[in-house]
Amino acid sequence: MSLLDIRDLRVTIGDVQALKGVDLTVGRGEVVGLVGESGGGKSMIARSIVGLLPGAARATGEVLFDGADVLTMDAAALAAHRGGGAAICFQNPRGALSPTRSIGRQLTDRLTTHQGVAAAEARTAAVALFESVGIRSAARRFDHYPHELSGGQAQRVMISLATGCAPGLLIADEPTTGLDVTLTREILRRFREAADEEGRGVLLISHDLASIARVCDRLVVLNAGAVVEHGPAADVLAAPADPYTRALLAAVPDVTRPVARTAATPGGEVVRIEDAHVVYGSRFGSGGHHALRGVSLTVRAGETVGVVGESGSGKSTLARLMLGLITPSRGTVTLAGREPSRLRGRELRDLRRRAQLVFQDPIGSLSPRRTVADAVAEPLRAAGVKAPERARRVTAALERMGLDGTYATRRPHELSGGQAQRVGIARALAGEPDLVVFDEPTSALDVTVQAQILKVIGEVTAERGRGSVFISHDLATVRGVCDRVVVLYLGRIVEEGPVEEVFARPRHPYTKALLAAAPTLAGRADGAGVSLTKDPEEAVPGAGCALAPRCPYAEDACRAEEQELRTLGPVRVACRRAHELPDPPDREGPER
Amino acid sequence: MADLTTAADAGPPRAAADRRFATTLIRAGSALLGLVAFAVLVGPLLVRWGPEEIDPAASLAPPGGAHPLGTDVNGMDILSRVLHAGRLDLGVAIASVALAVVLGTALGLLAGYRGGRVDDVLMRVLDVFQAFPAFILALAVAALLGGGAGNLVLVVALVNAPAYARLVRAEVRTVRELPFVEASRTAGASGLGTLWRHVLPNSLTPVRVIAPLNCGWAMLTLAGLSFLGLGVTVPAAEWGAMISLGTGDVVAGRWWTSVPPGLFLLVSVLGFSLLGEGLQERAGVVR
Amino acid sequence: MRIARFAARRLLQAVPVLLGVIVVTFVLVRVLPGDPIRTILGPNATEADAAAARARYGLDQPLWRQFLDYVGGLFSGDLGTSIQSGASVASEMAVRVGPTMELVVLAVVIATLLATVLGIWSARRAGRAGDHTLRVLALVGNSLPEFWLGLVLILLAYSVLGWVPAPSGRVDPDTDLTLITGADLLDAALTGNGPAFASAAGHLVLPVLTMVVVIVAPLLRSVRASALEVLGSEAYQAAAAHGLSERTLLRGYLTRAALVRLPALAALVFGFAIGSTVLVEYVFSWQGFGQWALRGLLYRDYPVVQASVVVIALCYTLIFLIADVVHAVLDPRVRI
Repeated sequence: MSLLDIRDLRVTIGDVQALKGVDLTVGRGEVVGLVGESGGGKSMIARSIVGLLPGAARATGEVLFDGADVLTMDAAALAAHRGGGAAICFQNPRGALSPTRSIGRQLTDRLTTHQGVAAAEARTAAVALFESVGIRSAARRFDHYPHELSGGQAQRVMISLATGCAPGLLIADEPTTGLDVTLTREILRRFREAADEEGRGVLLISHDLASIARVCDRLVVLNAGAVVEHGPAADVLAAPADPYTRALLAAVPDVTRPVARTAATPGGEVVRIEDAHVVYGSRFGSGGHHALRGVSLTVRAGETVGVVGESGSGKSTLARLMLGLITPSRGTVTLAGREPSRLRGRELRDLRRRAQLVFQDPIGSLSPRRTVADAVAEPLRAAGVKAPERARRVTAALERMGLDGTYATRRPHELSGGQAQRVGIARALAGEPDLVVFDEPTSALDVTVQAQILKVIGEVTAERGRGSVFISHDLATVRGVCDRVVVLYLGRIVEEGPVEEVFARPRHPYTKALLAAAPTLAGRADGAGVSLTKDPEEAVPGAGCALAPRCPYAEDACRAEEQELRTLGPVRVACRRAHELPDPPDREGPER
Repeated sequence: MADLTTAADAGPPRAAADRRFATTLIRAGSALLGLVAFAVLVGPLLVRWGPEEIDPAASLAPPGGAHPLGTDVNGMDILSRVLHAGRLDLGVAIASVALAVVLGTALGLLAGYRGGRVDDVLMRVLDVFQAFPAFILALAVAALLGGGAGNLVLVVALVNAPAYARLVRAEVRTVRELPFVEASRTAGASGLGTLWRHVLPNSLTPVRVIAPLNCGWAMLTLAGLSFLGLGVTVPAAEWGAMISLGTGDVVAGRWWTSVPPGLFLLVSVLGFSLLGEGLQERAGVVR
Repeated sequence: MRIARFAARRLLQAVPVLLGVIVVTFVLVRVLPGDPIRTILGPNATEADAAAARARYGLDQPLWRQFLDYVGGLFSGDLGTSIQSGASVASEMAVRVGPTMELVVLAVVIATLLATVLGIWSARRAGRAGDHTLRVLALVGNSLPEFWLGLVLILLAYSVLGWVPAPSGRVDPDTDLTLITGADLLDAALTGNGPAFASAAGHLVLPVLTMVVVIVAPLLRSVRASALEVLGSEAYQAAAAHGLSERTLLRGYLTRAALVRLPALAALVFGFAIGSTVLVEYVFSWQGFGQWALRGLLYRDYPVVQASVVVIALCYTLIFLIADVVHAVLDPRVRI
């Protein structure tokens, strides 16, 4: 008998059928991946398993857990089942940890409730559990509050809370959203261990097939409240039977897949950044955050430059620098031949219009009280284009993005994420700028929508006469869109070169680690490739190379001297050992 | 009362049942206000006595006969006075809140959008004014300016404006950092254009919600000042002043001089409160 | 320890505001229309009499001189002499502060406790009849003019039912209460004077009830809204999904998180209550601080007005400081 056996589960909320007859099993020691886009009913399944459906929901069918039906349990049985039977690791761990209770107390609450640990021993047990999920200095962390944790630590605490309930089944709802690639790998390994070493059943829920595929035994694909495909992970990936699964798989840009791109013939310089430093001053003078430390970069018309790095690497600062929205503390920025930092008022605004930004949050970047047409017209209005001409060009810009006239009068809340991002791109292009900067344009979108938007961006960036910059933490999308790529680490460029060259033969240890950690559908032996030795928030860079505290190849000399970018074949690398480091192993081949 | 801080307390989106309750509150509040407005606009046309007309034959006459609600110690007809007073009380309250909103929004926009030195100086000045409880400040300013309806509008507006300024400033500082404002800057729009087209319209939600609630508070302040003799004074008809005149009668068991104006005041303020609460609830649902 | 340092820093930040308050008060009082000397001397006094009286109160000095004297006095605890009574302002105030603080503190504490219990109760029944009834009742209370509510309560509880003592004075003089703090209930408890305690409590019932009814609504609304927010939060849902018991959830995950925003509002309400006492004391002939300050204002008694307004502002600022400290204790996210 399976640990969890869901049979023909149907859930309706009002007139909406959220789940239309779902069957799903999870056995002990098994990791099952539940994949589908947002709104597909994944969270509803998770909530059914712990008997926490919203008040207005009506459920039929069976959710058998160890043979007992959760849907018909009385209050006492449910109380024991929740946590003790099945425990959820919630999406967005920071939000799911109570902000006014120390993390230690939150864990001991679970331990005393479900494991009957005596209050006196709870602290010791909690510290031990914290350590086992990879929280350093756990004894000190015990009294910390959730807001003092980084994203990765919060996710670890969340896992410890769920396992602290000693559940038979561990449910993880989007466990890696918002985490950097290196952390994602680490967190997923924890779940694999929970199945392999502790014998729990694990249900991994995600919209991102690529990120979870490699740790799953079986995959279940959900679309619009119904299971469209299920089977062993390798089979589903290798030979997807359902069109929806195929669409999902096709939408995943694969970092290992070379992309044919017509070689660009770069034109004149659009933007030139020389030795730029940006320090965000704290209010009290001293200190402040050094976001960029000596970055030089040139973008030419007709080329697309990818900027890659983890959060905190300075990607967004670099974008705002190019747009003339911030002034470098040192160094110069030249946009379309003029320096924004030397201009004021009207002249500055005119220059700023030469560079446009496409935002990460498509809906938030549109004013809630203004129509789509109004938003797209803004750069034209600022340029002093007359009303009839403006209307004509707005319509044209929207049509180019595949949005017909009915969209013009809509407001942001009436748009889907993908539509809003099309509006955002239309706005950026309306004034025919010399440079368009895409700041993580697809990270807030569903996978299949991502693919569509990436296609649009691919078309836009292929146009001559304009330079493009594509900023992303997602290596795979960069590979598909860009000609040249720049890898940022803590405000410095560590590697720069043609996209195929950097992806095929990464030379900097950081680039190697990023690529090794990137999700792939093919999967590969865990532990292959370079992995960094610490979480970013735990490594304090010293005087020398900023990566040294995390770098497996670091030597004393690395810790002593700052690394400059040096030409090495077709690329430039900021690592003194780059020429002698081994090439990464073959990335193809099955994992399990 | 002037608890302008609770706009943020409206809470997370909630169920349809809450929205229905919000609608009920808004309807009930509007109905009460409509009722009072109708009574004070039309009512005075139907009563025989003028608001300051003295009936020498009747002082402290109980309700009934020529005086449906009795007379006060001066022999003036309570019903006529209560109805006429409503025009003054409602008018002053609404005018003062409107003035406070305009003043406060202008200051809040300036401080919130400009930031820096301007913001610091303005906020420190507001700090000083908000170091006094609102009613105490109203008392002092009323004593300074002297009574009368026009001055009372000014008093209540001045006492209220700092809270609006703070509310709008906080909202502007949030809105200023939202992506769509940066989008507008990137599009090359001028500072003033961005302020007018994007920041202002998106910063006024809490003001819209708070203003009705504040009208209720303004009425209570106005009546309180008059009750203490610092606002409108007898013989002019005003609810607070009427209650004040009837204070001594209550201990003697003569309820009719002070209960009717108090009830009218209660119903009007309750109308504003229900309306405001409903709007807050709805704003919480929409946001 | 960090809390103490935080409190000290907040106190320092309050200094400029208090200086501003002192200046504003001084200026405000000087520009008040009316002449205090004329009001005490009466219409028959000669110009010479008036000049002599002015000299006596230092009003013939240039303004900057008066200001320096006033500030110097403030720091040495000398608040001047009342023009009306000729007595020291400080000693007059001393007997007035106790009764008013007793009223305000009791009302705010009772209202806050009531709001906490009822707010959480209401949030857990959100959308049901009990919740709706409670909220509408609180709104009605909040819409009542306190001076009128006081009168109606007197009419019912004293004139009609005779349940409470006559609305004048704070304690039956026959009980021989020894004055210590001026707060009669507290003094009776300190001296173990049973009859005085009962009498003081009896006199307190109506005014405290009046104020509680008027101030409870905003507190209740805030607690309810915060509690609802917590109940709907992912954090609370996660704790519930992990099967924690009702008791643990209520104590560890709901109450503290729901009370985080209350201190600041309670401070604001405290200020509102101070304003209210002016009206409530008038209705109940309480002979407290509010009535004393009001008389000072009506008779243009400069020293009294200055002193009372400065003391109110000082008290209000301190209350906000206390609220900030309580907030910092309740909410670990506050950086201190």
